[in-house]
Amino acid sequence: MLDIAFTTGVMHLTVGNGLMWLIAFFFIYLAIRKNYEPLLLIPIGFGILIVNLPLTFLMEQGRGLLWRFYHYGLEWEVIPPLIFLGLGALTDFGPMIANPKTLILGAGAQFGVYIAFFGALILGFNVQEACSIGIIGGADGPTTIYTTVRLSPHLLGATAIAAYSYMSLVPIIQPPIMRLLTTEKERKIVMKQLRPVSKREKILFPLVTVVVICLIVPAAAPLMAMFMLGNLFKECGVVRRLSDAAANELMNIVTIFLGVSVGATMSAEHFLKLQVICVFVMGIVAFAFSTAAGILLAKFMNFFSTEKINPLIGSAGVSAVPMAARVSQLMGSKANPKNFLLMHAMGPNVAGVIGTVVAAGVFIALAG
Amino acid sequence: MIDWGLAVKICVFGLSAVFASLALLIGAIYAFEKILQIIEKRLN
Repeated sequence: MLDIAFTTGVMHLTVGNGLMWLIAFFFIYLAIRKNYEPLLLIPIGFGILIVNLPLTFLMEQGRGLLWRFYHYGLEWEVIPPLIFLGLGALTDFGPMIANPKTLILGAGAQFGVYIAFFGALILGFNVQEACSIGIIGGADGPTTIYTTVRLSPHLLGATAIAAYSYMSLVPIIQPPIMRLLTTEKERKIVMKQLRPVSKREKILFPLVTVVVICLIVPAAAPLMAMFMLGNLFKECGVVRRLSDAAANELMNIVTIFLGVSVGATMSAEHFLKLQVICVFVMGIVAFAFSTAAGILLAKFMNFFSTEKINPLIGSAGVSAVPMAARVSQLMGSKANPKNFLLMHAMGPNVAGVIGTVVAAGVFIALAG
Repeated sequence: MIDWGLAVKICVFGLSAVFASLALLIGAIYAFEKILQIIEKRLN
């Protein structure tokens, strides 16, 4: 009788499993009740729940269903580039092309990545782990996952959850930093309307960008190439079906596998560690410094520029598209109801994605 | 044991690559804006 009982999962439950169930339910609650990144938190939460059911062997190497998703989707580096294909098909680089100076703000916001990188080293992580933790500051989920799988796969659950959690918390994390680093007068700066961008420029942009970035950082090619291919689909106007498929069906399908695979890496024995708390702490440090660096760089640029930049758009350089740009718009319109910063903030916002991919490429090339 | 030399190299090269690639893109955007303007003028 006892032997039969031991063939069930009930007899093998641990306190760790119970704690992970609570975390899973919490994520599902946040997704359904609070609408925090529901497209990801529901599959991640469900993945956590089922991987912590004893004797299911869902992550057993070579046999488990979730292991297959993880192995062929993430370890084979298929899913993050496909997500980037969809992101490219959804991204409008027009505001950035209209005001190319804002690209610098996207670069400035990468400072937080390196501050968190050194912070993680000081906390005792090795170089590869520190790279995976630092890249959280780029506020770009697929890039964080891609870098972590390449450099320190054992941290995948923690870095992915930290990145997506903080991305959904951008409206809470950024405003106090933005208020602290800007004056009322600066927040009221009205930026002049952006020039219209021609279709030719929009078509040329992905072609030029993929050549420039991949020549400088070849390790960034998988993400950058797919990102720009998706954008070319969108802008060329002759492959509407491919553009729609990349932005909708394909993106939705890979999001399911991405979420479940990430959740599946979070078994109790891998996740309930002090290391994971450190990852979350350094993640928020990275976010905060990236936000601050973008704002301070915008203020610095104002010393040399005749056309003043509203420093609030600097914080949008952390990526988290389009949430960070919306926060800039909200803060700007609070200071001056006639201020419309959204399109201006989209420039650093999408530049931040490119900047983060470059930073990730360097991490992979030098630490991989 | 942390390899601080490698860490500094990653940081310096990483930030340089980020700024250099985005600066090159700025240059390229301004350049192809001008070139397209010239081409359109000639076509007109």
